[in-house]
Amino acid sequence: MSQQDNGQCLSRRDFFKVSATTGGALLIAVQLPGCASLPAGQAENALRPNAWLEVTPDNQVILTLDRVEMGQGTMTGMATLLGEELHVSPDRIKVVFAPVAEDYRQPDYGLQITGGSTSISSNWVRLREAGAAGRMMIEAAAAQLWQVPVTRVQAIDGVCQVAGNAAVLSYGELASLAALQRVPSSPALTAPENYRYIGKQSKRLDAQAKSFGQARFGIDVQLPGMRYAVLSRPPVAGGKVKRVDRARAQAAPGVVKVIETACGVAVVAEQYWQARKAQRLLDIEWDHGELAQISTDQVFDCYARALNDGASDVRDEGDFEAARVTADRTLKVEYRAPFLAHATLEPQNCTVHITKDKCEIWAPTQGPDIARAVARRETGFSSDQIQVHTTYIGGGFGRRLTQDFVAEAVAIARHLDTPVKLIWSREEDTRHDHYRPASLHRLEATFNAEGKVTGWRHDIAAPRILDHFVGDAAGAVAPGWTPQPMVRLAAGLAKLTQPDPSPVEGAQDLPYEIANLNVRYAKADAGIPISYWRSVGHSTNGFVTESFVDELAHAEGKDPVAYRLALLPATSRLRTVLIAATETAGWRQSLSEGRFQGVACHKSFGSYAAQVIEVSVVDGDIKIHRVVCAIDCGQVVNPDLVVAQMQSGIIFGLSAALYGNITHKEGQVEQSNFHDQPILRMPQTPRIEVVIVKSQISPTGVGEPGVPPVAPALANALFSATGQRLRSLPLVLA
Amino acid sequence: MKLLINGVEKEVNADPDTPLLWVIREELKMTGTKFGCGMGLCGACTVHLNGQAIRSCITPVQSVEGASITTIEGIGSVDQPHPLQSAWQALNVPQCGYCQSGQLMSAAALLANNPTPNDEDIMAAMTGNLCRCGTYPRIHAAIRQASGQAESPMAATVAYWEAQV
Ligand code: FES
Ligand code: FES
Repeated sequence: MSQQDNGQCLSRRDFFKVSATTGGALLIAVQLPGCASLPAGQAENALRPNAWLEVTPDNQVILTLDRVEMGQGTMTGMATLLGEELHVSPDRIKVVFAPVAEDYRQPDYGLQITGGSTSISSNWVRLREAGAAGRMMIEAAAAQLWQVPVTRVQAIDGVCQVAGNAAVLSYGELASLAALQRVPSSPALTAPENYRYIGKQSKRLDAQAKSFGQARFGIDVQLPGMRYAVLSRPPVAGGKVKRVDRARAQAAPGVVKVIETACGVAVVAEQYWQARKAQRLLDIEWDHGELAQISTDQVFDCYARALNDGASDVRDEGDFEAARVTADRTLKVEYRAPFLAHATLEPQNCTVHITKDKCEIWAPTQGPDIARAVARRETGFSSDQIQVHTTYIGGGFGRRLTQDFVAEAVAIARHLDTPVKLIWSREEDTRHDHYRPASLHRLEATFNAEGKVTGWRHDIAAPRILDHFVGDAAGAVAPGWTPQPMVRLAAGLAKLTQPDPSPVEGAQDLPYEIANLNVRYAKADAGIPISYWRSVGHSTNGFVTESFVDELAHAEGKDPVAYRLALLPATSRLRTVLIAATETAGWRQSLSEGRFQGVACHKSFGSYAAQVIEVSVVDGDIKIHRVVCAIDCGQVVNPDLVVAQMQSGIIFGLSAALYGNITHKEGQVEQSNFHDQPILRMPQTPRIEVVIVKSQISPTGVGEPGVPPVAPALANALFSATGQRLRSLPLVLA
Repeated sequence: MKLLINGVEKEVNADPDTPLLWVIREELKMTGTKFGCGMGLCGACTVHLNGQAIRSCITPVQSVEGASITTIEGIGSVDQPHPLQSAWQALNVPQCGYCQSGQLMSAAALLANNPTPNDEDIMAAMTGNLCRCGTYPRIHAAIRQASGQAESPMAATVAYWEAQV
């Protein structure tokens, strides 16, 4: 969305003063978010009751989407919430991407980020209220015009009517009068039994653009006079340039400039390919820094040392030590999970244009306000001199919460007076990712004389993602005037004081009732860059806990499903999904010859998921035939999007479980592209069946909860098939 | 150098070894064709060369001079969609959408040469196209639908379950 630059930023109070004197249509301007200027093209007499909705006199209904669309379908989901209360079909709503503004922050995080599977849950009330407020103002306008009590006005499908009266006015025709009505503070919302769009099948609003090659992603941004940049980064994270000979690259055809920045050496050329060819002519000597020798083995040694030195309780119930003393038998095993790349199909990229007093950024980012904070740091500009345009995003999965690609592009653009687009190669994207953290887990269970489990201990060694994320994020949370040293100080303080659930989530909240339960965490960070990755800590802890509980079932000679049900509290919503998935899959009933099943269930992001995976193993080759997934995500806003996200999460989870593995040798990442870091292809994709639990509880996440059960359900199936208990990801049969 | 793209002759002046992909995207400003890997591994850059699906990221522009090239912009329009594009929308195939131009171009080449492909044909034609969002089941179903065949065994199935607790 483009905005006029009116060169000034009014505070909310200022806006109020202006409006009070000019009255009329501008009254609504007081509702404009933060210090955003009036976006170009916005009609003066439009109805704008809040930061999300606009109804123009020419009858356009516009939703300003405060989350980013990266495939999860948030655009469609949000339009459904707004349309439900506005009484307008979601496919009539035009969606524009939000600029950076305080109103658009995700309320739980205090940041304008898209993550944590929270878009629907955090907007569930707020967007429906936004729609209801708009509709009520339109109804009030119609009542005023027609001189009837407002209760007699009916607003349906974008028009107003009075029963028994032929007159019909569209929302657009009423918009300017509606803009003069009082904004209702807490409008009543539709009862679930009267929903017209929520919970019903509907079209994806972005399906058309994406079926004709018309959706514009970050990498598609084109600006007049734009140049292309590629960047040679230190091969080892934390390294830097020691010496560079740029002469040959500088002389290559099309090259505009070779620039040394803090992030590496950039080649800027007229065309992308010219930049790539010239890049090969750079002669760079690197200082590899502290991680010069790091290897994957050393990372796990670091984790093991941390556990040997002692972990701290994050949950402690009963007395595990006592249970161990009296135990008849114990089971003690070790699990591990590797670093994982995000591998978004659209490689990282960012386009920046810096002029004397303005920095404009076009980026496929999951955190536009963090992008702005990073640009502020790189340029010294103030927030209102920096404008971030978000685009369609070719896959996020958490990768684009880290703004390294924005920082790089801004650093390069500072040396140019034209716009410049930085594009990462796939190899760079694989090797310079911020990975899903690797982790090491020690588990111990105790059994009494009857063979029943009495104790569970889970020790985890892993880094904290927050420590890596907070440096950039602090800049976005801090007020705009905060000097950079103070931002750094705040970030440093956050590392010491802020809790971070990421290493222990999904382990700390083990759902099973075991009398003596102890979960402990030891912070261990080998320095490899890490970040959020679809389902974060649940992706590893789900694997570990759901594999280990399966081990316990087998150790006790019980059926894994009956075993879980016996340990789950009577009120657990996991019971329902477990039963739904296993009954639908025909758990252990008349499987074809050579087929085996595994099961897992896991709660994450407020939702409950269970999966049954059916496999066969022939000559050591794993074939996955069928996945049945039951999901309870509360009230469903769009059933087909829930199905799509389960399919997506399962396939994403299978890629990780079968192939995902980023390893290091002498400080460098060993993988580079899809040949040595594969993801699932169509022929390997199983049949997927989804079962949705009916519910009217407030909606919870769907983008991530489909991922955690995949790896353990597959590992448990492979145990059934081969007798091999695989405790390390990716799953490789001996 | 002259290129014949979507039936229109265009003059381009990129270096001869430049991959066709970048000429299409940068010089011709048709950004529907995507860059994913640059090594022929993902299919995001798929276009047609004389009716066959090729990976434009590993095709030097000089090697296609005079040949007929079709991109996603050339197989259908919103008003006159390719049957695959109709099926794609009907089944809500795209997620992030980044791979979809390439998927559609591979599928369109398949149907042009084989109007009723069986499952094996579909798998063989589509195995070179990666989708990180996991839209494969819907792509398979949409190809079946567009070619007038019975519902795909990979099609999305959904059932509802009454909450018990
Ligand atoms: S970009 Fe051409 S195959 Fe991946
Ligand atoms: S839809 Fe996202 S990569 Fe295929």
